[in-house]
Amino acid sequence: MSDEMEEIRNDFLVESQEMIELLDQRFIILETDPANAELLNEIFRAMHSMKGSAGFLGFTHLVDVTHRAESILNKLRQGDMTVTPQVITAILEAIDVVKLLMADIRESGTDAHVQTEAVSQKLDQVLAGKTGGAAAPTPAPPSTAAPTPAPAAAPTVAETVAKPIPPAEPAGDSAQASTKLGEILINEGAASKEQIIEALDRQEHRPPLGEILVQSQVISEQTLDAALQKQQVKGTRKGEEEQTIRVETRRLDSVMNLVGELVLGRNRMMKIGGGLDQSHENDPLVRELGETLAQLNLVTTDLQLAVMKTRMLPIRKVLSKFPRMVRDLSQKMGKQVRLELQGEETELDKSVADEIGDPLVHLVRNAIDHGLEPVADRQKAGKPIEGIVCISACQEGNSIVIRIEDDGRGLQVEKIKAKALANGVVSEAELAAMDPRQIMNLIFLPGFSTADQVTDVSGRGVGMDVVRTNIRRINGTVEVQSQLGKGSQITIKLPLTIAIIQALLVEVEQATFAIPLGSVVEAVKITRADIKTINGREVLNLRERVLPLLRLTDEFEIQPDVERDKFYVVVAGMGEKQVGVVVDRLRSQEEVVIKSMGDYLSNLKGIAGATITGEGKVVLILDIAELLQDIRMNHLAEVAA
Amino acid sequence: MPADPNMKIMVVDDMSTMRRIVKNILKQLGFANLDEAENGQEALAKLKADKFGFVVSDWNMPVMSGIELLRAIRADGDLKDIPVLMVTAEAQKENIVEAAQAGVSNYVVKPFTAETLQEKMNKIFK
Repeated sequence: MSDEMEEIRNDFLVESQEMIELLDQRFIILETDPANAELLNEIFRAMHSMKGSAGFLGFTHLVDVTHRAESILNKLRQGDMTVTPQVITAILEAIDVVKLLMADIRESGTDAHVQTEAVSQKLDQVLAGKTGGAAAPTPAPPSTAAPTPAPAAAPTVAETVAKPIPPAEPAGDSAQASTKLGEILINEGAASKEQIIEALDRQEHRPPLGEILVQSQVISEQTLDAALQKQQVKGTRKGEEEQTIRVETRRLDSVMNLVGELVLGRNRMMKIGGGLDQSHENDPLVRELGETLAQLNLVTTDLQLAVMKTRMLPIRKVLSKFPRMVRDLSQKMGKQVRLELQGEETELDKSVADEIGDPLVHLVRNAIDHGLEPVADRQKAGKPIEGIVCISACQEGNSIVIRIEDDGRGLQVEKIKAKALANGVVSEAELAAMDPRQIMNLIFLPGFSTADQVTDVSGRGVGMDVVRTNIRRINGTVEVQSQLGKGSQITIKLPLTIAIIQALLVEVEQATFAIPLGSVVEAVKITRADIKTINGREVLNLRERVLPLLRLTDEFEIQPDVERDKFYVVVAGMGEKQVGVVVDRLRSQEEVVIKSMGDYLSNLKGIAGATITGEGKVVLILDIAELLQDIRMNHLAEVAA
Repeated sequence: MPADPNMKIMVVDDMSTMRRIVKNILKQLGFANLDEAENGQEALAKLKADKFGFVVSDWNMPVMSGIELLRAIRADGDLKDIPVLMVTAEAQKENIVEAAQAGVSNYVVKPFTAETLQEKMNKIFK
């Protein structure tokens, strides 16, 4: 294949991916607004365009599926067929197959490895007007390896209408269910592991009639409210009007990297200029240099901001998959859920956006699975049957704040206490000193899970600690607040960018370290006498609180050259856990550009990266989260001993 | 009049991949002076601003469709003689009749090869 053709193929994949995301969203809206002609036209056009390009590129399976879906859509938009839940379900299935086809193309360059007969057959039946549901065979999984499950015996209409749809049975072992193609998708980053598992579950556990009925219910209850709809439609209109060019992320990364270098150079120049100003204050050239530097300083700051902005994406990109996910989940669990999205225009750095998707999926699943009560319980509690999950995003100062709220049962403090004790996450003494809010946040500690049962929706052994670890990796924090019986609120705080941070520079013996300012709580001056020892560990009694101390001389094996009496303790922490870093001197606060340590040194514990200061010195940046983890390990080991 | 290899050709499609594919085929046929637009409206503005010798347009596009673009071109005193080739997904009779009535120069069904496009252009630029 020529380079040109390969580039066209890549273009096709990127553009089609965007169209598929759009289709997923549009269908959810269409379900509640089936008469929207404009919407139908838009959907038709996306399918049509995809088919057209696929034809040129010789992707025959893709043409097959999109052609059939397009024919149905054409009938819908011409009014020859009505929008019914079963029709939508059939087309959504087709879209899922299209996703698999795309993944195949990405992996192998052809779309020949995905079986499309089953979905084609189903689409043909819909096209022929045979959408009876019970008569239609269960769609075969489109992947190559998974065998077709026998169609579930469909309950009669009368039975199923009368009672709420029971949640689907738990899925089998996810590892077994995953197929080669699923793995490909995960490796490719085209879909997360959870998405694949969810997709497989849906394929294997969907009773066609049951689903159809739930859907009918969804429509009559108008699960997705009109506000959400308007918001989304408005959101895309704006997107269409934007004049954009596509730039590879790699190029933006290199621009960002160069600007980082420029910032370092600027910092260094400012230092030199300041020095000259003091030694040669009467030299007119030095004065001119000072003015030029001031200008350079301003422009560099603006440039840095401008480059940061080129990497910003509206969070809508991340949130767009949620309406579909919540729809599928709520059907599977027999719960009625209304998803509210707010602040979709809020922008965040691409690297942050890439990382935050999975934690959000996990938290939303949790909210639906554990947070929202079953319908019967909600009725008993006098709550509306329909539960609400709200994801909102906004910018607060230098952070992006994302909140996930539900109006479910809330966290039970007593239950958390018991679990934490039973799992050895905390000691009884530690627990006694905690307020309810601190106790609730114990759910983020490793080895903690509040669900009594492992369900196939959220309890796959991946706990909230993984959520927190992922959020910390991008220098974010996560916290939970909850009111029993009223609901829970999870607050995620993320930095605007992860490449440049404010840091506190500290000195220990001859070495200088940078501590990210985001994790610095305070700094206190102490003398040697203030340091106490408990269980062989150094601690500081700070305002009635025992703070474990960390000496960088021990951590990084720096030889102390003089006996000191006076120290500074930098209290640093992530959420509830804090540590006092003992240093000799506080130097300054500086904006530093994080440079990674490279592969060779990337495993250094407690070091997040390195930077170059205004003086031109290389300084290591401490990874407080990792150091805290370390302290915790030692502490637990001692408690156990 | 045979096709002038230096004439400026407008490629109209709402999917950028399609524009790229069509432009690629035109390049294979020796045409290098190419411009593009993502809907009829944008194309019309560009057609008015410069001198184009040929338009290859998709049918179904948002804002302004291919047939609307064709009608606008034929209704414009300066543009009315520009040959327009419509790209359709299926050879649907009613579409072709509609396009013919609106004064289309020819049509081509997706997907097409360089040879097919050459043939169509040979018929237009006799």
